[in-house]
Amino acid sequence: MNRMSTWRSLAISLVAVVLAVSPAHVASAQTYQGRELVTAELVADTTTIVAGQPFTVGLLLRMAPHWHTYWKFPGDAGIATEIKWNLPPGWQVGEIQWPTPLRLVEPGDIHVYGYHDEVLLMQQITPPASLPAGPVKLAAEANWLVCEKICIPGSATVELEVPTAGSGAPANDELFVRFRRALPQPWPADDVAAATWSRAGSELQLKVKSSALAQHPVVEFHPLPPNEKIVVGHPSVQRDAEGVTIRVPVETDDPKLTSLGGIVVFGHSAEAPDRNAWQLGTQPGTPSAPSIQPRVDSRGIMQFLLFGVIGGFILNLMPCVLPVISLKIFGFIQHAGHDRRRIFRSGLAFVAGIFVWFIALAVLLIGIKSAGGEIGWAVQFTNPYFVLGMSVIVLVFALNLFGVFEITLPQRANRGVMTWTSGEGNAASFFQGVFATILGTSCTAPVLGTAVGFALSQSSAVILLMFLAIAAGMSAPYLLLSAQPAWVKLLPKPGAWMERVKQLMGFPMLATLVFLLYVLGEQRGLAALIWVLCFLLVVSLACWMKGAFITPLASASTRAIVLALMLLLVLGSGAYFIGGKFAATKLETTATKADGDWIPFTPERLDAELARGAAVFIDFTAAWCVTCKFNKATVLDTEAVREAFARRGIVKIKADWTNADPAITKILKQFGRPGVPLYVLYPAGNSVEPIVLPELLTKNIVLETL
Amino acid sequence: MKAKLLVTLLTCAVASISFADELKVGSEAPAFTLKDSTGKEHSLADFKGKFVVLEWFNEGCPFVKKHYTSGNMQKLQGEYTGKDVVWLSINSSAPGEQGHMTAESTPKTMSEWKIKATQILFDHDGKVGKMYGAKTTPHMFVIDKEGKLAYQGAIDSKASANTADLADAENYVKVALDSTMAGKPVSNASTKPYGCSVKYAK
Repeated sequence: MNRMSTWRSLAISLVAVVLAVSPAHVASAQTYQGRELVTAELVADTTTIVAGQPFTVGLLLRMAPHWHTYWKFPGDAGIATEIKWNLPPGWQVGEIQWPTPLRLVEPGDIHVYGYHDEVLLMQQITPPASLPAGPVKLAAEANWLVCEKICIPGSATVELEVPTAGSGAPANDELFVRFRRALPQPWPADDVAAATWSRAGSELQLKVKSSALAQHPVVEFHPLPPNEKIVVGHPSVQRDAEGVTIRVPVETDDPKLTSLGGIVVFGHSAEAPDRNAWQLGTQPGTPSAPSIQPRVDSRGIMQFLLFGVIGGFILNLMPCVLPVISLKIFGFIQHAGHDRRRIFRSGLAFVAGIFVWFIALAVLLIGIKSAGGEIGWAVQFTNPYFVLGMSVIVLVFALNLFGVFEITLPQRANRGVMTWTSGEGNAASFFQGVFATILGTSCTAPVLGTAVGFALSQSSAVILLMFLAIAAGMSAPYLLLSAQPAWVKLLPKPGAWMERVKQLMGFPMLATLVFLLYVLGEQRGLAALIWVLCFLLVVSLACWMKGAFITPLASASTRAIVLALMLLLVLGSGAYFIGGKFAATKLETTATKADGDWIPFTPERLDAELARGAAVFIDFTAAWCVTCKFNKATVLDTEAVREAFARRGIVKIKADWTNADPAITKILKQFGRPGVPLYVLYPAGNSVEPIVLPELLTKNIVLETL
Repeated sequence: MKAKLLVTLLTCAVASISFADELKVGSEAPAFTLKDSTGKEHSLADFKGKFVVLEWFNEGCPFVKKHYTSGNMQKLQGEYTGKDVVWLSINSSAPGEQGHMTAESTPKTMSEWKIKATQILFDHDGKVGKMYGAKTTPHMFVIDKEGKLAYQGAIDSKASANTADLADAENYVKVALDSTMAGKPVSNASTKPYGCSVKYAK
């Protein structure tokens, strides 16, 4: 007897030991008055854990019939389920991925969001790069509130033991597939559903332009207010042929609240398997993310204004500005001995030209911005006709510098020499300033990108201040020279060398042209580029005709005939080469062109990679972006960096913005950027905020970030 | 420009009309008359000139229990009724629903729980609860001396049924009462209440 009981207790303890070490997931149950209300257990989507490889674990809650647990935002009553992990150091855990909940209406018009029957709350877990041998125990404390007519809080410590190995196989397929399908999808592209928020008093309005959405019998909006101080009422949905309008009453102290996160749920019925949902505002690839503020606020406005001044000064050295500037300097040299006041006035006029252009630009941008338009620095480069126009201007100016022809204004025609670009009249000076600045702003993106990007995300006053700072920086040298003509004496004496320098300056202009033509080629392809070159050839011919025949010595009739011929040539070839041939060329689909081991960007691809838990690096670039090219050549495509990417298994995505792809514009906006370059690293495991790298990369910055 | 302004004004007007039924902080607290467990009637108008707290109450709700088993609610009731604030705990649980109070059960609960509210009032048809938009138990309202709603929402900043969370929670009702009694505007005058849903009749 005694012996028997010894054996029995031994057997029991053996069973206990076996149970404790087996890779079992024992469900923990919440009972109430003898009834089992909720069982909780952990399940993993893999049989084994592999060092450094993210995997997904879900808290599986099974509710008794008619009882429900709650969504991330519970609604009018209730509490979201909570999971507190107890993981070894070095392990990372991602946000809970919440399946689309049901909207449940209780007596008294109380709306709550939750789950009936069964729900799997998934989280991505990333183990460290090296693991000790043996199985790993994953433990978490789960807290939930389960309600039917009454509410009862439940909690459980759930554990799951998973073996470690070099490779794993998928597990619990059916469960994970089912609940992953129930997750809200990232917001689709604008042509499928374009969402815009507005606020009128205590009501937020979400307009979704989407014929696809309008066709579904059931459309609901489940809000995700950021905190309990923003009280949302019950959203109402109104439908028309174009899409839906969702009105959400809000109560908040924050007058700046103009949008909410949430999900738009739609389907043929309100029942679970039939529905789909789009996530708004909290996941990558979705618009209106009020939480992602430009991270520049802390840097302070003063620092950015300083950047503006320095950037403005550097503008003078740009290859497309330097020639204009050098002519202005020549003006100073030539008049070094003249009336001081005249020099001062001419200098001021030049500076005024600079300021007027920048102020005009600022006003234009503020206007577009307050009208709700999308603005970006250098965004004009995404328009091929702008680039074409720039090419013509730059070519004509280069020919002028080479001396092929002189630009003459009527009242100065008898002076013969080039006037408006070298003249010293105040009007001429003013237009020189404007011209220099137009050229300057067209190639400033690399220098002023950050500062202007900051300004564009700020108030109108800051935008204006920023542009004034740039104008001040750019005009500083002339102001100094005008105010202190004595300093001009430090410059070389005038002479024949000035004509040589002028000609030499034609070459930076041609270099600028090469760059512009490269951009056009990237945008429209080789055929389009050839048509543009044909047109430029005719424009050059017209310039030569002007230089050769329209001289002060030529008779009026010769001048008239040549002028008519010139116009005919330029307009005719313009209509044929540009209006006909060039316009017919297709947009070059840079987005689908693979570039080495870089994957072309699509929102779907990014979401897929992130869902997989991969680390993703995105290079937001464009053909016309000089900084981007520079970064790519000196950093991203170097051996050391390529190797680091490869070693860490980082997925490299290239988002080409040459043609202003709206899907890319949307993500740029999320990061508070008006344009490229932008470098973003999404760390593996989806658990951490994406890291934004600086515009100007160095190998060290990249390697350290990785 | 003028047209735009007009449209904006119209939109605001329409918006305010369509949500006139939602009770807003700063608006007049709706009048009501409810009976206590002895059958005596109490009207909000009776307390004109005094600060009034409305507390939606369901003794079966774990969130309500959190604030009573810890003594948190009684302490708040004692402190402010001591400062001449009227504290009305309202029971909107319909007959047969959780937390439904009767003439018999009420005095027992009051003494066992050491409730320090001025009155416990019955709203078993849920009319007053729905008029105020009471969603949860607890759901708190603060009415100022002029009879205007000064605060509505959660009792504190930690939405949970766990008493351990009381220690570092900010008590919104206390903050609202202190501000409005000092004649100052209430910051965060509206918050999302948390708790069980009010057990209204079907």
